[in-house]
Amino acid sequence: MIVKPRAGDHLVVGKYTGKVIVGVGLLMAIPLLTSIAYHEWDTALDFVIGIAACLVFGFGVQILSKTDRDLTWSHGLVVAAGSWVWATLLGCLPLYLSGHEGSYLDAMFDVMSGYTTTGLYLLQDLDHIANGLNMWRHLLTYAGGQGIVVIALTFLFKGTSGAYKVYVGEGKDERLLPNVLQTARAIWLISLTWLVLGTVALSGVGLALGQAPSRALLHGLWIFMGGWSTGGFAPQSYNTVWFHSLAYEVVAAVVFIAGSFNFALHWAMWTGNRKEIVRNIEVLSFVITLTLMTLVATFALAKAGVYPTAMTLFRKVFYQLASGHTTTGYSTMYSRAFVTQWGPMGMLAVTVVMAIGASACSTAGGIKGIRIGVITKAFVQDIRKMISPESAVIRSRYHHIREIMLDDAMVRTVMTITLCYLSAYMITALIGVAYGYDLSSSAFEAVSAVSNTGLSCGLTSPAMPEFLKVVYIFGMWLGRLEFMSVFALGGYLFSMARGR
Amino acid sequence: MSGLRIAVRFVALLLIVGLSSPEGPALALTPSPNFPDSAGLVEQPKNYDGRKVEFTGEAIGEVMVRGEDAWIHINDDAYYAKNVEEGAPLGGFNSGMAVWLPAGLTTRIMHYGDYKHEGDVVTITGVFNAACAEHGGDMDIHADELVVDVQGRHVIDEVKPWKIWLAVVLCLIAALLYAMHRSGEASRTLGPVSRRR
Repeated sequence: MIVKPRAGDHLVVGKYTGKVIVGVGLLMAIPLLTSIAYHEWDTALDFVIGIAACLVFGFGVQILSKTDRDLTWSHGLVVAAGSWVWATLLGCLPLYLSGHEGSYLDAMFDVMSGYTTTGLYLLQDLDHIANGLNMWRHLLTYAGGQGIVVIALTFLFKGTSGAYKVYVGEGKDERLLPNVLQTARAIWLISLTWLVLGTVALSGVGLALGQAPSRALLHGLWIFMGGWSTGGFAPQSYNTVWFHSLAYEVVAAVVFIAGSFNFALHWAMWTGNRKEIVRNIEVLSFVITLTLMTLVATFALAKAGVYPTAMTLFRKVFYQLASGHTTTGYSTMYSRAFVTQWGPMGMLAVTVVMAIGASACSTAGGIKGIRIGVITKAFVQDIRKMISPESAVIRSRYHHIREIMLDDAMVRTVMTITLCYLSAYMITALIGVAYGYDLSSSAFEAVSAVSNTGLSCGLTSPAMPEFLKVVYIFGMWLGRLEFMSVFALGGYLFSMARGR
Repeated sequence: MSGLRIAVRFVALLLIVGLSSPEGPALALTPSPNFPDSAGLVEQPKNYDGRKVEFTGEAIGEVMVRGEDAWIHINDDAYYAKNVEEGAPLGGFNSGMAVWLPAGLTTRIMHYGDYKHEGDVVTITGVFNAACAEHGGDMDIHADELVVDVQGRHVIDEVKPWKIWLAVVLCLIAALLYAMHRSGEASRTLGPVSRRR
């Protein structure tokens, strides 16, 4: 029997959703200040409206949802998934009001893409937008990478034991420290430290490349935010090919590869456990699959004679593949060049690495290296069992911060999530094919959206069918929250309608 | 009816409705001043690789001087003559080409396009490279001539009065709700204390 949620359940969900949305509103103060600093008055007004709308919603819902009850697991999942929907609906106001979006749906697409660190966008005439608006786009992706719930946990939740349930609902399950609030703050400590170092490095390179100081600083900050969060937004429509610089590409790659690592790995390194980086199963999985797919793409492109020298070939292939594998989406190519220069084999290599994605409990998306590692270990374990005597006990283990024994329940959970991802990739790609796009382009774009990568082969555009935009928005949301929270929200809504 | 069955029917209905409207929104089309335009060069890079091209468009962003030469970017998209802040209709993504040219030529450009500027419209002449060996495989044009066709200008994004009204009304409501929320919180905090007394 499906149990209908009671009024008390709605109050708990409303209270915590309201808190998260207040957090989103407060976050808009940063682009507001940027617009004021650059005298972008109309854009500044857009942010005042956005902040006020978030506060009206957030405080309004909290006033209507007075309760002392703490969150249960299902509440936590519903709050996490629901908050992302409301944060998207309200967070897109400044983008929509700017006049650069074709519709409210397009603005929602861009904001969901930002929060989920995808990087696909529908905003038009990007090269003429205000600094404040660019700050909001990049802040969205930086905040989304840490998790908007993590932000709310850090600043707005006061010592609730249920906070961990919302935290998990947002697709993160590592406890760096015993207390979830301390964990959220540790994530911020790591991210802010990298923010300072990365911005200084990128701005310095930008200055050396001939950028004016203020542009070098803003571009450095934004490219850092887009890279660390593995979001892939960039301030110019040319993405990172704008800089035409190996040095800039190297620094950006260091940032997005670091951003794609598990926060638990960062914390281990931070606290002195340096050897973790060479033992961790996610890092090993990432290195192996990146190397294999780089070889495949290099071979295919060398055969096609696309690039004139071995060095240019390796530089292009490694950057796009590393960007795809970390689900960043930075590119030093025109989108359509994936089709017109790289061809099906090159696109397939990028599609595979995007599908795998990077580390769990990081800013990255995709199936995740740890799941690929666990499935591989389980596969090898099964083969060993087959060729060993029946009485033999075959056990496998892997290293992720500590030694972990592989068991059937763990493999089952990993397989379930992996199957969810593969199904979502396939269904999204098939919908694209149903609209008349060719399979390789449709698969490339579908995997890019659901794995929260953001590389595009040109299919995503303001002129694409509206329903396909909705499908991609849903895919980005599902992929970022790793399905379970969204399923929990669906179940919650269903039980409201049909439960007893 | 089970939840799964309802969910499957709901998704099937959504797919039918969604796929039955295949057209995307129409965009305003502003013809590019170039043939081939930037999209054409990206679509057929082999056809134009190594050929001399003339390319017209808006100088965008900034010039990045690297020694004797410099990088500029020229957009030949729907906004090359007029941008959104000036009232141009939305016409899709930006599109353009990266241009490598002697730094001295760039001194003729007075305005680079951004939020506050519509950049100079310039015409460059040079060789198109589908994958430039000198620049890490980037697609670019190595130019040796530059002519400024139209001077750029300062652009003012006027503040819309209706936005001021909307902002004031929303801020007043938000302040009221904040006060109500705070007073509610305070009374809930004080409640148990007063009971203990």
